[in-house]
Amino acid sequence: MKKKTIGFYLKIYGKILSQDLKSKMSYRADFIISTIGMIFTNISGFISFWILFKNFPSIMGWTYNEMLFLYGFSLIALTPVQCLFDNNWNLRMHVYSGDFIKYCFRPINLFFYYMSEVFDIKGLGQLAFGIGTLIYSWNRIGIHTTPLVILKTVIFLITASLFMIAIMNLAASTCFRIINSGYIMVMSSRFRDYAKYPISIFSPVFRFIFTFIIPIAFIAYYPGLVVLRPDEVPLLSWLSPLIGCIFFYISYKVWMKGATSYNGTGS
Amino acid sequence: MDKIIEIQNATKEFKVLNRREGLRGSIKDLFSRNYNIVRAVNDISIEIGSGEIVGYLGPNGAGKSTTIKMMTGVLEPTSGKILVNGNVPYKNRTKNAQEIGVVFGQRSQLWWSLPLIESFKILKDIYQIEDSDYNKMMEFYRSLVDIEPLLHKPVRQMSLGQRTLSDILAAFLHNPKVVFLDEPTIGLDVSMKSKIRVLIQALNCEKNTTVILTTHDMGDVDALCRRVVIIDKGKMLYDNDIDHLKNFFGSYRTLKIRLDEICDRDEKTLKEISQKLSEEMSEEFSGDKNPAVSTDNEWINVLVNEDKLAVMDALNFIQTKHTIKDMKLEEISTEDVIKKIYEGGV
Amino acid sequence: MNVKKHLTLTRAGIIESLQFRLSSLVIIAGNFIYLIIVYYLWKAIYASVDTESVNGMTFSDTLIYLVLATSLFGFMEMYLVWQMGRDIQSGKIILDISKPMKYMPFMFWSLSGSVVMSFIMTFIPTFVAVYFLTNGAIHLGINILFFLISVVFAIIINFSIDFFIGTVCLYTESIWGINIMKEVIVLLLSGATIPIAFFPEPLKTIVLYLPFQSIYNVPLTILTKSEMPVEEVFKMMLTQVFWAAAAMLISSLFWKKSLKVITVNGG
Repeated sequence: MKKKTIGFYLKIYGKILSQDLKSKMSYRADFIISTIGMIFTNISGFISFWILFKNFPSIMGWTYNEMLFLYGFSLIALTPVQCLFDNNWNLRMHVYSGDFIKYCFRPINLFFYYMSEVFDIKGLGQLAFGIGTLIYSWNRIGIHTTPLVILKTVIFLITASLFMIAIMNLAASTCFRIINSGYIMVMSSRFRDYAKYPISIFSPVFRFIFTFIIPIAFIAYYPGLVVLRPDEVPLLSWLSPLIGCIFFYISYKVWMKGATSYNGTGS
Repeated sequence: MDKIIEIQNATKEFKVLNRREGLRGSIKDLFSRNYNIVRAVNDISIEIGSGEIVGYLGPNGAGKSTTIKMMTGVLEPTSGKILVNGNVPYKNRTKNAQEIGVVFGQRSQLWWSLPLIESFKILKDIYQIEDSDYNKMMEFYRSLVDIEPLLHKPVRQMSLGQRTLSDILAAFLHNPKVVFLDEPTIGLDVSMKSKIRVLIQALNCEKNTTVILTTHDMGDVDALCRRVVIIDKGKMLYDNDIDHLKNFFGSYRTLKIRLDEICDRDEKTLKEISQKLSEEMSEEFSGDKNPAVSTDNEWINVLVNEDKLAVMDALNFIQTKHTIKDMKLEEISTEDVIKKIYEGGV
Repeated sequence: MNVKKHLTLTRAGIIESLQFRLSSLVIIAGNFIYLIIVYYLWKAIYASVDTESVNGMTFSDTLIYLVLATSLFGFMEMYLVWQMGRDIQSGKIILDISKPMKYMPFMFWSLSGSVVMSFIMTFIPTFVAVYFLTNGAIHLGINILFFLISVVFAIIINFSIDFFIGTVCLYTESIWGINIMKEVIVLLLSGATIPIAFFPEPLKTIVLYLPFQSIYNVPLTILTKSEMPVEEVFKMMLTQVFWAAAAMLISSLFWKKSLKVITVNGG
């Protein structure tokens, strides 16, 4: 057996993805409706935001544009979990019906194989919306654009993504142990709506909780600060890439542990 | 013959939640949970040589699927040892998976929305099959079945038979040493069944692939297996040649009859009449000749040993006593075989 | 109407929901965390302005309104669109249609069990928490009774809208897209995300003429504005009755018509 390198996995992913896209294109109506749905979601989020700032010009020293920056940042950071890890949402169904077993017979990484099955193309609309918002607020705030700042932005966007992916992995893996754990998924994904707010508005106790226990502050606030307010970056921001990797790794392990200890339903 | 699968004293236990009934029961469940330990597989030892086709039989819930899940590395045995091709499946799941193929029930493992050929191409990459091997295999497939019309059809649009066929081909694609087929012919019509049997036979022959086949259909066993392992309630009942088993049940057939007297399908009268029939039969036919009488839903089953007693004689005799409304003749079922084994101890 | 027949369905739904004890705990915990986020967010927002009330709503008004809106959403969401969509695609709907009960009431009474459960599991704890958090800012009087009646109407309107959207699934496979569009529109225009009082003028007027505000805005306004004259309350409830009747009528007509189309086409 040949060694399975990252190249091997990338090649397989590329192949499955391109085939999947081809077959999705044959369901054009579905694709269009889903995309419109996604655009609706983003527009509605934006409208709520706008209504809020019509009434309140700033929130605890955070201006409209700064908040908009965090909003765009979180939208981009949420794209990978939406596009690449969307099959987490189906995990509960697969486990409940016993279909999950079919993923266990292939000689490749189970987590990879499972996630590779679904690529959610709708997420790309969100990405476009997020990039637009980020660039708009970027210019309005007047962030000095240098290659280093752009590099930082990319690295910290990836960091933020890792946190959201890890949260959803952990939420999905609960279904290996609890019947009908869909609520946990729904709840966890609801947290991401609050990730865009600056954590400084919370009291110290909850600042601690949202940093270390339910780490939603890492989805936009800590990584975003590096670019948004470079003069007051806390240590946690700089550490967030490392923490993100560790957190993702833990979630991956938990997911795999759940999958291997999952005993199938009957028969 | 080299051993490809070795199972030694394998046991698998499950924890099953006892759910209480009714509204009050659900509320109780909310606060305290009551588990039962169920032993799905109980101290089973089997050795299988390479190239064998082994029929793995048993009624529903006997522990067949659990054994297969252990051999494929999905489940870890609670105790005992399992080696497949020198691997401990549970510990080296991916390594083991490279060398086995699985068709599990009616759950297609192919990509639902992709045409079959694209699934094959992805599998080729996943199993790292060389181009030349892949092409040879596809050539071989073409010589066996007419796959051209299937190749460009998405799996989702296939009939059950086509899907099973595709799944079997996919399981053999990487030339595995062992292939597990779990109920491959379930729900298929007679012609598709025989097509699948021929295919399995040919693949086994050509590549010397070991095949473990679970089924409820004695026809599958008859057509494919030289060796049969039977389990029931997690315990092994029988492990021997099919010929040996055939000596025992081969000449048995079930005569199913429906009598005029039982018009309202009343279970009690059915039982009474079958009891009466049983007594009448044992008066007429003594010793080995005497057929066993049982009932299911609306039929009375008369199990006749054709070596001793011609079915026609039995039928004629019944006709002298009762009016037969309907009848059919069936091969012995797995369930009957198991019952016979319990009774007779093969 | 045979009440017993319907209540059996309710009872079955209750038993089913009780099976999942951990999920009930998680829902309660999740709502609690959510409550905290909303609390701090709006505390920060109000801290940024000098006046005590904005658009006639004080901090505690807004808080009560939003938190109860979310928990109303939590128990009114019956995942009806999903269920209908799935049943339509799998063909299971044929079985339900052929039951000796009309499909729409059948679905309503089947889902009523889980509505009752989540009312107890999510709404009541949240209500109690809010009551104490705001030091009893909710007036406990006749308004509670009006509120409960108003919630029943809201459930009927929400169910009818869901049923309408679920019927659309007879025509398309895109359940996700359709459902998300509905959810986004309902949540925004019903005032569940931001109180309608904050909406800028033209938008506010438009929204008040739509059925959506009857789902969240009306019951919550009745609950929080206890000083409102009774005539005003009755006027609001009358709008609800109107929308409930209209939505029920339109949905059942649409369903009847669609069913004919489908059976004729043999789809």
